[in-house]
Amino acid sequence: MSKAAKQKIVAYAMVLPAFLIVMLTVAYPIVNSIILSFKDEKTGKFTLDNYAYFFTTPNQLKNILYTLFVVLVTVALAIVIAYLLALYLRFNHSRIAKWIGNLYLLPRFVPAMCAVYAMITIIRDSGLINRVGAAFGQDWKLGLMYHASGLIVMNLWFNIPFATMMIAAGLGAIPDSIIEAARDVGAGRMKVFRAMILPLSVKDVVIAATFVYMSNVGSFTTPYLMGGNAPKMLGIALFDQFNKYLDYNRSAALSVIMFLLCAVSAVVYIRTNLKDREWEA
Amino acid sequence: MNVPERKVKLKIADMAKKYPNGDGVEHINLDIYEGEIVTLLGPSGCGKTTILRAIGGFHDITDGDILIDGKSIAGLPPEKRPTAMVFQSYNLWPHMTIYENLSYGLKLRKIPKAQIDEDIKKILQLVSMPGCEKKYPNQLSGGQQQRIAIARSLLLKPELLLLDEPFSALDAKIRQQMREELKKIQSDLGITVVFVTHDQEEAMALSHRIVVMNKGVVAQVGTPTEIYDHPADRYVASFIGEMNFIDIDDQTIAVRPENLSLDPEAKGDLKATVRTIMVLGHYVQVTVQHGDTVLKSFVDREVSDRLSVGDEVSLEIGTHHVFAKE
Repeated sequence: MSKAAKQKIVAYAMVLPAFLIVMLTVAYPIVNSIILSFKDEKTGKFTLDNYAYFFTTPNQLKNILYTLFVVLVTVALAIVIAYLLALYLRFNHSRIAKWIGNLYLLPRFVPAMCAVYAMITIIRDSGLINRVGAAFGQDWKLGLMYHASGLIVMNLWFNIPFATMMIAAGLGAIPDSIIEAARDVGAGRMKVFRAMILPLSVKDVVIAATFVYMSNVGSFTTPYLMGGNAPKMLGIALFDQFNKYLDYNRSAALSVIMFLLCAVSAVVYIRTNLKDREWEA
Repeated sequence: MNVPERKVKLKIADMAKKYPNGDGVEHINLDIYEGEIVTLLGPSGCGKTTILRAIGGFHDITDGDILIDGKSIAGLPPEKRPTAMVFQSYNLWPHMTIYENLSYGLKLRKIPKAQIDEDIKKILQLVSMPGCEKKYPNQLSGGQQQRIAIARSLLLKPELLLLDEPFSALDAKIRQQMREELKKIQSDLGITVVFVTHDQEEAMALSHRIVVMNKGVVAQVGTPTEIYDHPADRYVASFIGEMNFIDIDDQTIAVRPENLSLDPEAKGDLKATVRTIMVLGHYVQVTVQHGDTVLKSFVDREVSDRLSVGDEVSLEIGTHHVFAKE
């Protein structure tokens, strides 16, 4: 056997364990779920009914649209707020900015369950805010519980710090002299932002958005504790199908639907990352 | 150089810039004439970049004033100042082509496109980089990028060109070439230039006048020859060129290696012992031990041929300066 061929075999042999693990733990369940999702529960024959169920039953279709609504609003708000916060942290050198820079990641260290319960005790209609109002003779009822707005507020709590971290890293990589050179040739603050900062950080913003989107499509803890009965986030709907109705074929179909929803952002993420912009080569 | 009718382009009047930690510069007074290259020279932390950035508008000054053509610019933001700055590195906008880099400032000034295209063509010729409009900065070498940065500044026809150690990231050979080109461009255009560097050789080669800075104050202002031949104090003497310091009684004698001769016969009173002999082409560098100090002397081959390490020689001091002993 030639030396090159031997080297090839060794190379494949070294990759094999990792390859097998990935196939076994990732590829196999995915393929299995996909097959399951096209099978009739009783006869085991090929069918599209499992998918049709989610797109034709009004309540199930509402769940999908509701999830998309909550997720997209979360992404939009989280990214806008995180971008503003990251800009503030990058360009403000005050002591307050320094403190915020040190503290803004703290929410990430609070376990999700604790954070959600803490939020509930504050925002529910008999919560802290209501009692503060009561002290002044007011009766503030926020109506955030069991409502999309409550979920979004909670999602922002989790996602703003994370998105800020990603965007701040991108902004931190823009050297001061690039901005100073722009001001030097006559660009005011807004023009510097439009012509320099935005194009140089847009990639990080898009990537942060895909991450926030993906992590929220399948979210469970927050909607489980704070969400209403109908419509439901897809994470809860899947939980119901799997744990309550024990309908594994529909569960598989819903899993594939959620996977495809996530895949949209995966495509955006990969495209953004792979796009070989000439100036970055 | 101080001919009275020369027009003052930039006037810095008792300017101070203090940082919160107490560092900074103060009592800076400086007149820079039209068409002059003035270098701010000093070690890092001496305040030279602080002054340059204050002129460009990137630092608010805490006291005094900065005037261009007699008009105060101290209150203006960088985008409103008639100055253009070239930074040490990362000058060019990486996401824009060279054409976009060069045209951005002109577009902000609403100059018609045909005019912009023509100006860019001309300026690229001037910095010897024609035809690179479509390239991105990362496709150019460091030296080429700095040329484009200088071109971008020149396109805006600034009253004052500010350069903050623009060549320090380049290697020695390119650096020398860039200096020559800058000097040529400057004399062709007659533009006024303030140049910051920590490299005394660069300052000597480039400037009409040098401002030597020390710890936030101006130590001396003068032509390269004035500063080399008549250093105002011991600091300037030690910073510019090579200098030996010999303590005699309560005075310090400062003498340059080319003005310190060695007598192999050791007939003089100042005795020393030869430590090293190094042939550097047409001259020889000899170091000698005199008391606790090591002195350097440049001698001819015929003198060095009569010397060997360990010999006793006597020192003959030629042109020199006398400073109070520290």
